[in-house]
This record gives sequence, structure tokens and C-alpha cells, in this order.
Amino acid sequence: MGAPRPFSILVAALGGEGGGVLADWLRDVAVAARLPVQSTSIPGVAQRTGATTYYLEIHPHGAAPDRRPVFALTPTPGQVDLMVASELVEAGRAMQNGFVAANTTLIASTHRIYATVEKMPMGDGRYDGRRIVEAALQLAGRAVLFDMARAAHEAGTVISAVMFGAIAAVLEKSGALPITRAACEAAIRAGGKGVEPSLRGFAAGYAAASWPAPEAAAPAAAPAPPATPADAFPPAARAIVTEALRRTADYQDAAYAALYLDRLRRVAAVDAGDGTLTAETARHLALWMCFEDVIRVADLKTRRSRFARVREEVQAKEGEPVHIVEFLKPGLDEIAGMLPPSLAPRFHAWATRRGLAERLSIGMHVRTTSVTGFLLLRALAGLRFWRRRTARHAEEQAAIERWLAAIVAAAPNSPRLAFEIALTARLIKGYSDTHKRGRANFERIFAHLVEGGRFAGDDARADAVFAAREAALADPEGRNLDATLGRHGVAPRPPREQPIRFIKPASRA
Amino acid sequence: MERSFKEEIKLLRLAEGEVFHGEGILAVTKALLQSGVSYVGGYQGAPISHLIDVLADARELMDEMGIHFEANASEAGAAAMLSASINYPVRGAVTWKSTVGTNVASDALANLASSGVKGGAVIIIGEDYGEGSSIMQERSHAFAMKSQIWLLDPRPTLPSIVRAVEKAFELSEASNTPVMVELRIRACHVHGAFTCKDNRAPAISRAAPLTAPSFDYGNIVLPPSSYAQEKHKIEKRWPAALEFIRREGLNEVIDGVALDGAAPLADIGILTQGGLTNAVLRALAQLGLADAHGASRVPVYVMNVTYPLVPEELTAFCAGKRAVLMVEEGQPAYLEDALGAVLRRADLNTRVYGKEVPGQPVDTAVFPLAGEYTGEVMQKGIAAFLRAAAPALPGDALAAPDAVAALKRRAAELLGAPVPNRPPGFCIGCPERPVFSAMKLLERESGGYHVSADIGCHLFSSLPPFNIGNTVLGYGLGLASNSAIGPLFNKRSLTVMGDGGFWHNGLSSGVSNAVFNNDDGILVIMKNGYSSATGTQELPSSPHQSQAHRATDMGIEKTLAGMGVKWLKVVDNYRVSNTLKVLREAMTTPFAGLKVIVAEGECQLERQRRLRPINAEKLRRGERVLRVRYGVDEDTCTGDHSCIRLSGCPSLTIKDSSDPLRVDPVAHVNNNCVGCGLCGEVSHAATLCPSFYRAEIVHNPGWWDRLKARLRAAVIGVLQPA
Repeated sequence: MGAPRPFSILVAALGGEGGGVLADWLRDVAVAARLPVQSTSIPGVAQRTGATTYYLEIHPHGAAPDRRPVFALTPTPGQVDLMVASELVEAGRAMQNGFVAANTTLIASTHRIYATVEKMPMGDGRYDGRRIVEAALQLAGRAVLFDMARAAHEAGTVISAVMFGAIAAVLEKSGALPITRAACEAAIRAGGKGVEPSLRGFAAGYAAASWPAPEAAAPAAAPAPPATPADAFPPAARAIVTEALRRTADYQDAAYAALYLDRLRRVAAVDAGDGTLTAETARHLALWMCFEDVIRVADLKTRRSRFARVREEVQAKEGEPVHIVEFLKPGLDEIAGMLPPSLAPRFHAWATRRGLAERLSIGMHVRTTSVTGFLLLRALAGLRFWRRRTARHAEEQAAIERWLAAIVAAAPNSPRLAFEIALTARLIKGYSDTHKRGRANFERIFAHLVEGGRFAGDDARADAVFAAREAALADPEGRNLDATLGRHGVAPRPPREQPIRFIKPASRA
Repeated sequence: MERSFKEEIKLLRLAEGEVFHGEGILAVTKALLQSGVSYVGGYQGAPISHLIDVLADARELMDEMGIHFEANASEAGAAAMLSASINYPVRGAVTWKSTVGTNVASDALANLASSGVKGGAVIIIGEDYGEGSSIMQERSHAFAMKSQIWLLDPRPTLPSIVRAVEKAFELSEASNTPVMVELRIRACHVHGAFTCKDNRAPAISRAAPLTAPSFDYGNIVLPPSSYAQEKHKIEKRWPAALEFIRREGLNEVIDGVALDGAAPLADIGILTQGGLTNAVLRALAQLGLADAHGASRVPVYVMNVTYPLVPEELTAFCAGKRAVLMVEEGQPAYLEDALGAVLRRADLNTRVYGKEVPGQPVDTAVFPLAGEYTGEVMQKGIAAFLRAAAPALPGDALAAPDAVAALKRRAAELLGAPVPNRPPGFCIGCPERPVFSAMKLLERESGGYHVSADIGCHLFSSLPPFNIGNTVLGYGLGLASNSAIGPLFNKRSLTVMGDGGFWHNGLSSGVSNAVFNNDDGILVIMKNGYSSATGTQELPSSPHQSQAHRATDMGIEKTLAGMGVKWLKVVDNYRVSNTLKVLREAMTTPFAGLKVIVAEGECQLERQRRLRPINAEKLRRGERVLRVRYGVDEDTCTGDHSCIRLSGCPSLTIKDSSDPLRVDPVAHVNNNCVGCGLCGEVSHAATLCPSFYRAEIVHNPGWWDRLKARLRAAVIGVLQPA
């Protein structure tokens, strides 16, 4: 019936990624090839980092002067010939909206730019990108998936150039439109801005989307690791234990690593399962034993490997000096934590009474790459010999022992309960207020659900511990945790005191 | 300005017969020049911001032609500008984002419409409805009807849009009535082509000015003139408009034709708003009833003029048809109701299919009452109409919408969970974000407080991670909207307003009202220097004025002092601890009048746009450049993400920890970081963690830099562990 409908291209991108430039290039190519074309977009505020789309329709045959094709302004699900997404979740969104069907070629980048809601949670809130890849392979007639961000970075250009190259390859190879690589490159040259990097990015995209795909080199087989004390543990735990031994020795000394091994053996001895309990305990035990006190932070900040990593991360070139400035703000807790257990509580109480808590919390900018800054931090790092005598050390070791004892006690009857208890250690992280909050949550769960509370059985207890841990990770204000604990008859924490000074002045009342 | 049109404005000089390839909103500008306008104005806002930007960039051309251009202070000012066409035979056009701009402009518009115009007065309306919109979802149609302003809604192709603009001036003059030309978001941004005419220099212009004022009491909106004007509207202007629309064939009829041997469906028809014509024809093509060039078996009546309707044309189209479908986007269903009334009065029995109306479930309802008519909605609605009104059509041809539904179901199943939303947010390094970080910290220490928000980028504060802002009531109306909230609370509440909102309406409706009534409120003015959300246009207080505004010296602080604001503090946004201190002080001071905090920080978009070329040039010349960016130490980050909850910067993100022991992703600053410093400030102000660092990279280091670096490396190297 009549002429075929226009070829439709939908580009999903994030604001600021150059989607508009890409649409311009495509349009220029079509105009140069004398193909009737229309493009449209919805810039608006979406260009402020939000998800946005660009939509093009290109008529595959040259224009008849008297009969202009009718172009639509919006795509219709099931009627998009070429779907291009600059990021993986945007490809998922396109699929969700029905823009990827059996007649669609999907070109999508596999890299992730996380949405704010994915970044915010205290644990891991990331959307599972593998599902998107799976769905893409199922839904699209042809799916071209590769990491465009990396290709763009390697070419020193922006992602739109890589997308353009991939589009050109698909159009040329499929013969859907009379558009050639040369014509696309001409459009980039005509644009006149950043031509060479754009052409490099274009070439990378073109190569990645060309088929048949080049054979990927098979990964080389990893050499067998040498024998270590980790071999005594279940296979699932070995890599973790190896790293943990290195870490604990690096953190304190060989004796500390030996203490780690002793502790873990107690759990391994009661682990009748596949080793998961041992493995997860091994992980969290190591992290907990290497708690980040002032000494540790100062040590890590001053290492050669760290200087090198910063240089690499900020992409400093050979011969370019890089200065590193730390944002440190040790407070009363950190200072008290460095004192012996006998003195710490008294000092803390005295300082709080004297209103020193605020004054002792001083934001410092330490220039680690300067000689004085470096020496200051090294001096702090050198306090490692003192660490075993500090209040913080005593406190953490006691909590670790309590946690381990609960795991060991639970494991014989209910491996699941033991596992859930082991994972509660995930709540212990961060510094200062964050650390205090995590620690308080841990304490509440331990007191009310692990050591206290009445449950129908170990499974019910394990369920409760699991739910409470997830709730504690859900929001920093602890609302979810309060609600979850409330189901087990635990009263919510009293609301925090509000300073009275926020009441309006009486004169206005 | 965010976007420069220095290249595109060359298109505005194209002559008769040359082909224009470009954006819809730019084509409108060309149409204005081809129509011989004497003056243009407007207020920025998507989707018509580019029109204002183009006009600003095209100053030279307009000066040559003697056209007066004004970047109005608000839509009210723009609408009031049209008063030049009341007494004098001059053509003028203004533009804004609707319905919000039309709301602001409606006082002037109602007066203008009552007086009537001698010269063509045209308003280009960017109808911000549907996907990509940033405002409440309403139609401009009601304004046209209530003030009796004609409303054009042209087909969304450049030739139609250009013709609509040109004809709008003629219609306006033929009927002494202002005319609105409505363009939807995608039509504003559509790229297409049309054949140009020569530009027409206006007869009355800055080059050829008026010499004598005209006085006619009949133009003044006071009795008895106002009564006479109302009568004139009905007796003269309206019939004249109908006559012009008919004569010029502004509306179109696409006759049903035979396609591939199948006969036209003459006993049914579709009436559509002009702006939706292409969507209708595309849906018909998808359902096998039209071809790619718009030949359709179903007759279509295209309303390029949606107010006033031409009853004769409607009855002529519907006569002899069993059923018609009215395709009308948005609610209320003004057109469908009017069509029903016209047919009823003409005693025609044609069934009208259209929208679902609450409280009236009928089988003619095939379209949702509200929401954008996307390709999917259109296909579904037209298929439902055809199934009901043309039962002879084979059912499988109309099954496309079912396939779409099945496809979306399958995709949802495969994905398992909906993908996360990605609303717009603050840019990298945005100076507004630190203020909200400080407000979040204030909330943490003192509990919640009511925040009256305003229109602008800063309204992104209402989204995660901040979720700050309890109400929003209109542009520049934040402070006024707080005037009953403040007194009813036991603690102070706070208003956030941008400098754009301040100059638009905040100064008069907000500050003067608050000072006059001695309000005990707190106003935070985000002084980022531009009207940023709409594309960083200049404001009276912009730091870098273009030539046209070079002479202005309109400081916000001076203005506030002049208005009698006694408590005024200026803060540097990026110093979060200090901002927090000032906020705390505003909350607790015994001073009982309006407290204003001017939060200063230049829009990072503009700043980077200025700095990037300078730095690139310095690097090219081999000069020393210090690049600052921030980073997170992976081995001290524990993956709690507090920093993200207090910042939300796009360049502060997460990545897999390379530590095999850690399962949670760690915070990470990517290379888009512009080094604004918020990360470090927040980690100090909130006592977060020691993971943040600032890196200062010296490009093209001098001998002193190199010497220092070498000495330091020598000392540190000796003591440094691996």
C-alpha cells in the first residue's frame, strides 16, 4: 500500500550528553542525501541531567516535490526501527515503554550512570543491569550492546560521537537507509567543532557495531595460587581469608592476623553448610577488625600506592605536580577513643560538660603532599604501637567477641540464623555520626532480636534479624527500623530533643 | 545564554524562494520578519526560550529593519507591550510559555482583547503540555475563550506554522482581535524545511517613527466604552473572524480517498486540532487506513483554528456521516462540547466519539480525558473509534494496540522491576545544591520546618536526595505563598526564591508585601546570576550583561535595602558551614521582620561555558593552569553514601569497590567534576568521613612548581611506605 512509512530513530540520552548534536548530525546526513527528514526533541528542564529523548523520522526514498511524507512528532511503541540508548537503564526504559520490538535494532551502551535513587541507599541500591541486557537480547530484533562511555573516553570525545558511529554501521550494514559511513563523517567535519576526537569516537562506535563482531580473545587461565593458611577453610572463604590475613597484618601486626585466624576457626568449626557462613563471617570479621580509626586513616592516606592512585584517578599526566588536600574533622569521640579505656569515659564526660564537644571538632585541611602535612599524618600513623591500649580498640574487640559468640551459639541449631547474625556486621560502617548510627542500630538488633526477644523458633528469629537489617539500611533516620522493631514489641527510640531556641521570639506570639 | 544562535540567525536573512532548514521556533521568528512586525517581546521559558534567545542574537538584523525588541521583565510586561497595536496600525508579536505565562499576562490580555486592536497583535504560545513539560497540566484554550482572543493550532510542519503566523496577523487586523498561535513542545523543537519569502520592513518603526498620538475614548476600558467593546466583539469582530477563516481556508479538509482498491470511508470522519494532524494520519497509517504521504480512507477535518469554530464548516463536514471522532488533547473537552452543541443546533444526528467524561460513561468515549496524545494513545483511541464506528473493517487490522500492550507486558516481565526514574536535577557543581545541603543539616539539628519553594532550577530540591520544599505556588510567588503559613507555625518557615523569580514577581508580590506587613519570615534568594532553568538568559542583576543591557546596575541587595529590608546577609553558597550558621541565625534571631539571605554562586553552566575556552586556550599556549577536582579514597570509604544524600551531585556517584572484602559500592567522583568543593565542605559541615580529598593538578608547571614538587617528593619518598 503506497510508500513505506518513514524509518524511525529514537535516541534516549541524559541531558548534557550531546544528544542534540547527534540528532543534528543525523539530520544533516539525511538532508545531504536528499532524504526527507524530521527531528524533534523535548529539551526543557530535562537537559538538566534528566532522561530525555530525541526522535527522528527519515523517509527512505528521495522527496517527490508534490508529495511530502507525513512525519510524526512522537514515536509509537512497536514502530521504532532503530532505538539508541546512551546508557543501560535508558535502554531499559525504552523497553519498558514498548520501543524495542522484534522489528527494532537496539544500540545501547552497557555502562551505567546511576540515578540518584540508586546512589542514596546505605547499602547497594543499584538496579540490576543484567536484567536489561537479558531483556534486550530477547526483545530486540538485533541488539548491539557495548560500553560507549569507555569508547568515548578512549577516543577523548563525548558519547554522542560513538553513538553516531554505531548508528552509521547499523544503517550501512542493514541497508535500511541509503546512508554511508563517508556521509556521516562528512557531517562531523561540517560541524567544525572537535572534529578529530569526534571522528575517533565515531570510528570506535562504527567498529563496535559492525558485524560479524571481532573474536574476543579468550581470557588467560589464572595461575594456581600458592598454598596459604586460607586452604584450611571452605573454598568459598579462601580468597576472602587470604585478603583478610594480608589486611589484618598490614593493619596491626602478625599477631593480629593470628587472632583473626583463631576467631574465624571458631566459626568454621560449627559451619556444617557449604562454607557461606564462614565466608561471610570472614569478610565482616576482617572489615571490623580493621576498623578505621585516626591511625588507620592517616596511614592509608600517606602511602605511595595511594598517591599513585590519586594521580591516576584525576588523570594527571607525567610531570604534572598533583597536590592532595585532605578534609579531616576528628572530633571528641576520636580523641577520647585514643585514650586508655580507664581514662576515655571520664575525659568524654568532662569535655561534654565543659561544652568542648563542638570546639574539639575542628575541620582541618591537611595538605598531604606537603612535607609538614605528610609528617603530621605519618606521626599519627606511627601511633599504631599504641592502638592495642586505646579505648576504641577495647570497645571494638568486645563487640566483635559478642558478635562471634552469637554466631557460634546459633550455628549448630540454625545455620540460617547464624548467617543472618553474621551479616548484621554490615551495619557497622562509616565514621563519626554515621558510625554511631550504624552501631546503635546494630546494638538494638542485637539486644532485641539476637540475644533478647521471644520467637517461635530460630527461623522466626532469623526472619526478624534479616528484616531488621534491611530496614536499618533503608533510611538513615531509622524510621524503617523503628517500624520493624515495633512489630516485635520494641518501643521506638524517643524523639530527639529539639532545641528550644527555634521557637519564635515571644514578641511575635 | 545557554545556547548561541549566531549561526542560525543567518537563516533569518533568507530571501524569497530560498529554503529554510531549521527549528520550528526559529521558523516562527522568520515568519514574524516576513510579516512586517514593528516590535517583538516576550519572556523566556521552555518550549519558546529559543525564540527569545534568537531574537536577542538577531539584534543587528532587527536594528537594520527598525524593529523594537524587548526582553520583558515578565509575561505581563510582554502582553502589555501589545497595547502599541491598539491605537496604531503596527504589527507586533510577543511570546511566552503557557499556561503559566498566560496566567501572568492575563490582566493585560483581557484589557487588550476588550479594547481591540488596529494593527496585528500576535501571541506565540509555547503550550507546555505532556512529556517534557515542567508545569501544571492545563490548556491555554480557556484564556482564548474567556477574553475572546483567537487561537490557532497549526499542523506541526514548518510550512503550516509559518503560514499560521502570517495569517494570524491578517486575521488579527481583519477582526480587530489579538490572536494566539499555539505550538506544542515538540512542534517548537521540530526541525524541518519551508520556502521563504523576503523580510518586510515595517512601515512604522524605530527607523520611521510615529509623530502624533491617537486618542479614541472608545479604546479605553471604562464604561461606557467597555460595554460597547463587548458588543463590538460579538457583532463585528467575531463574524469578521469567521468570514476571514472561511475565505482564507485556514482549516483544511482531507477528503477520504480509495487506497489499494479499498473504498473511502465516507460515512465516518475525524476532526482534529491542527497540531495533532500528523499524529492522526500516522495512527491511520499504522491501522492500514492511510499511506505515508497522508492520503487517507477516512476524511479528516483539520482545525488549524481551534477558536473560534466555524459552525458551517463543522456541519458541512459532519453532514451525511454516521459518526465522527473529535481528537482534542487536554481537558476540559472544549472542542468536543462545542462540536456537540453545533450539531445539536443544526439538528444533525452524527454521533460524536471522543473523551471519557467523569460521571457520564458512554460508549463513544475512546480517548482519555487528560494527558498527552502520544503515538500510543492516538493509535489506541482511533482503533477503538474505528472498531465501534466502522464494524465492517477487518478486526486484525485494528489489533495494533493489543500488540503494543503485549509488548509492554513482556518487557515488564523480562525486566522484573521498573527501571529507576531519572528526573532532571541540579547540574554538576551547581551553586544551589550547597544551600540545600545546609538546609538539610539545619533540618537535622532542629527538626523540620516549612519551606515555600518557588519556580526555577532550585525547585529540584523537592526531589531526592533533598526532598526540601513543601509548597510551590508560582513564579516569584514563594514569599507571598508563605504569608499565611509563617504566622500559623510555632517556628519560623523559610522561602526559597531564585533571582529570576525575584525580578519577575518576587520583588512586588513577595518582598514589598512582606515588608509592608512586617512578616517574620526568612527569604533565601538564590543569586546565580541568570534565569537558569529557561536557558540562562540575562536578568537585571546578571554579572555579565550583553551590549543591550550594559548600562544597567540593578543589584538585588541595593533593591532590598531600598525597600526597607533591615536584616540582610550575603553568603557564599559553597561555604556550607557558614551558610548553615547564617540560616541558624535567621531562625533564632529576635529580629521580627523579614530576614533575607542572598545566597551567591554563579550558575555553573555559565561559569564553565566562560572558563572552559579560556583554560583550553591557556593550555594550548603552554601557560600554567591549575585544575581542581575532588575525589574519594576508596580504601577509607565504607559505602554508607551519606555524602550522596547530602549532595546529589551527578559527578558524585558510586562504583564497585575494588576491595574484595567489601560488598557495598563505594562513593566515587568521576571526571566530570568541576571542583566546586561541595563534597569537601559537606564532609566537614556534617562531620561525615575522611575519604574526600581535593586534588590540584598543575598543567604546564613552571620551574618553581617543578622544583617544589621534586623537593617534596625527595623528602616524602624517603619516609613513605608502599
